[in-house]
Amino acid sequence: MVYEQGEEVLPGAVHGHRLSTVVPSSVTGEVDYPLSDADLAFKLHYLRGVYYYPPGDVTRGITTKVIKDPMFPWLDDYFPVAGRVRRDAADVAAGEGGHPPRPYIKCNDCGVRIVEAKCDRDMAEWLRDEAPGRLSQLCYDKVLGPELFFSPLLYVQITNFKCGGLALGFSWAHLIGDVASAATCFNKWAQILSGKKPEPTVLTPENMPGHSPAGATAPRSVKQVGPIEDHWIVPAGRDMACYSFHVTEPTLKKLQQQAAVATGTFELVAALMWQTVAKIRGGVETVTVVKNDAAARSGRALANEMKVGYVEASGSSPAKADVAELAALLAKGVVDETAAVAAFPGDVLVYGGAHLTLVDMEQVDVYGLEIKGQRPVHVEYGMDGVGEEGAVLVQPDADGRGRTVTAVLPRDEIGSLRAALQDA
Amino acid sequence: MASPGAQQLKQLKPLYQHVVNNFVAVLAAPVAVAAAITAARVGPDELLARLHSLRAAHVFLAVFVPAAAATLYLMLRPRSVYLVDYACFRTKPNCRVPFSTFLEHAKLVTFVEGASIDERSVRFMTRLLERSGLGEETCLPPAHHYIPPYRNMEASRAEVELVIFSAIDDLLAKTGINPAAIDILVVNCSLFAPVPSFTDMIIHRYGMRRDVRNVHLSGMGCSAGLISVGLARNLLQVAPRGAHALVVSTETITPNYYVGKERAMLLPNCLFRMGGAALLLSTSRAKARFRLARVVRTLTGAQDSAYRCVFQEEDGEGHRGINLSKDLMTIAGDALKANITAIGPLVLPASEQLLFAMSFIARRVFGGGKFKPYLPDFRTAFEHFCIHAGGRAVIDELQRSLGLSDQDVEASRMALHRFGNTSSSSVWYELAYIEAKGRMRRGDRVWMIGFGSGFKCNSAAWECIAPPRSAEGPWEDSICRYPVDIPEVLKH
Repeated sequence: MVYEQGEEVLPGAVHGHRLSTVVPSSVTGEVDYPLSDADLAFKLHYLRGVYYYPPGDVTRGITTKVIKDPMFPWLDDYFPVAGRVRRDAADVAAGEGGHPPRPYIKCNDCGVRIVEAKCDRDMAEWLRDEAPGRLSQLCYDKVLGPELFFSPLLYVQITNFKCGGLALGFSWAHLIGDVASAATCFNKWAQILSGKKPEPTVLTPENMPGHSPAGATAPRSVKQVGPIEDHWIVPAGRDMACYSFHVTEPTLKKLQQQAAVATGTFELVAALMWQTVAKIRGGVETVTVVKNDAAARSGRALANEMKVGYVEASGSSPAKADVAELAALLAKGVVDETAAVAAFPGDVLVYGGAHLTLVDMEQVDVYGLEIKGQRPVHVEYGMDGVGEEGAVLVQPDADGRGRTVTAVLPRDEIGSLRAALQDA
Repeated sequence: MASPGAQQLKQLKPLYQHVVNNFVAVLAAPVAVAAAITAARVGPDELLARLHSLRAAHVFLAVFVPAAAATLYLMLRPRSVYLVDYACFRTKPNCRVPFSTFLEHAKLVTFVEGASIDERSVRFMTRLLERSGLGEETCLPPAHHYIPPYRNMEASRAEVELVIFSAIDDLLAKTGINPAAIDILVVNCSLFAPVPSFTDMIIHRYGMRRDVRNVHLSGMGCSAGLISVGLARNLLQVAPRGAHALVVSTETITPNYYVGKERAMLLPNCLFRMGGAALLLSTSRAKARFRLARVVRTLTGAQDSAYRCVFQEEDGEGHRGINLSKDLMTIAGDALKANITAIGPLVLPASEQLLFAMSFIARRVFGGGKFKPYLPDFRTAFEHFCIHAGGRAVIDELQRSLGLSDQDVEASRMALHRFGNTSSSSVWYELAYIEAKGRMRRGDRVWMIGFGSGFKCNSAAWECIAPPRSAEGPWEDSICRYPVDIPEVLKH
């Protein structure tokens, strides 16, 4: 309304952003949610996930009110997500160490930001274009800070396309939970929308701050960055963009056949990407691997429990090595550094910090976010706050047989990546 | 420590009150006894003889004149007006605005083009909110959850429909009345007056009759609820017997968000919240729950300071808002005194009035310094008090002026905490609190006091005929948590 006056709209761009807030429906009270060391290790990263719903009668009935109303009871269960970051004034150790006091989440019911926007293109056309950076148009690209105390931890963007299609973009601060926690959180909202009663959320944190030796060097998987004050983003030296593409079932089958032993799909796809990036860039002898192990999760609703480790390509350069070889390395040769990363006291970049990061999202149920029985036609998860080395997220596909891959790379490498994939 | 003299006086007070309040009975008892003794002494035969000697005309007049006078008195007396029932808008959790969200939005509005609210203003609003007495569950209309808030007509109408239609639906369900049976419709909403009016909105939605007498009162301030009740009472005097009047009191928040930085105009942003009430009045006593005893309206607008006390205007930068002057409390105190002086003689028992008169005479005769003005104890006239929840300061000031206890003003404080300042409907939320707590009994008297721009102080006195039949109401979900201890400064 007031916003649109004088706003120049590039044809096809997402415009008309209107912000509002959704809060928990009942008073949470004076509750603090402590952040564990594992949570704080991921504080410089932000998940950006977009769910696309095709045009049709069902989608036409999904108005803003339909989307917002279930969020109030949903935030009663997930009240830390509606809180804000504060610093622990009583943190004595921080004063002595000269770094800012330990952050925690004050569950003050401040709420989650909702963004409503429009796009004058058809959703099918938008998806076909496969434009790099389309993710940042559909997810509100804010981070925590510079006003840390007033930054929401979650933004939900509702974009209506000309054809009637709908895109839901979630901007989620990684420190509150990993991608598996985030996807489960969003699925619970959809369950409330459908009128189902979701399982109770377990929020009791065992977030005990660890005691780690000061002055230790950063683990190999991650990169230490300068002390971060209140603006929780490390701007990469180069312009990063997210590019999503499909790996079809026939391609997967071919890769599987080339492998001598039965290898997991994530390892195959990740290995393919490792090789491709190595060809474009040269080098990339080591990669960081972030895996989601559903069996090892504690069952807490909000947690950062991904396994972080690194893999070193022994001997030959990855660009020349066999995909199958690299896949085998990814399966067996990962040096696990999860505990070391969590215990490290300084600020680190996990994704794209020290090396190209390969992220396993195989077991994350992203297509479970059904609105009024309508499954999303496509889902892609990218990330913000990724370091220059880049990251690759391997996600399930709509039909469950292929894979969707989102590569977060410097923009000038994206062109080469597209070309390389065309040849493959 | 009270001296022994004062202690004795205190013990004598109830006796004094019994004697003075039942003065007629106290006088009549010995006279009746004397008459009975005389009649007994004279003897029944003598009495009969005296009766026969009376002229027939005198006997006829002695019976006819009082009977005629009584009938005339009964016919010319104004009809009693009864409150059949009332319903308050039940706030929805999806309109809730916690303290932190309100402040965050205020901060973000500072970045919006066209608004001149700045950092200093936000800090000022923070201090106001901390000391306001509002809780974390007050509600603002959906249009105000946007950054910047929508203030257009469409959003305002949406808020109005949400509030008054749900309140009227609740009322119709409670009373079982058909909308077509409503003869009079009075709505008050100060700050939003669309065309067609709210009354037309209601008539359109509920399909009321063609001859319904509808009036919309706008610009009458926060005491307009009691003005509407007074108006409905007057209209019921000339309506057919047993007519029904629907009175709706509300305030529309949507068009009134102030985006300037004038401090005196920021307070309404912080205090005003969504709310509304619908009541059904009738001259028929069937199914009624309260009887309207008095409506007393006091206007002090003839004085400049009172007139400009609450003033809607544009600030230096052209942003419209409501300017609250610094002497609001003093003016409110004066208006209250004027209202008490008007209503006191009508509701106070004779004992209090006598004491007040004696104190008044004593001060006149012996000079003002020696005797403090006697503060009549209104608890002898009323069991419950519903003081407009204009703000913490207003409630504190009134508690002091009227000499009320914390329990007496509990309803006002808790309504302010749970619902904020809902303007003209706040007295109804307070009544709902008292009833939800189960404190209302048959025969209890209620005093509603409203304050508003102008400067007006209006009172209504009710008498309870029947306590509520069900626990439904705006306090349904939250009453178990009340009363709460409201801190001096809210921590956040």
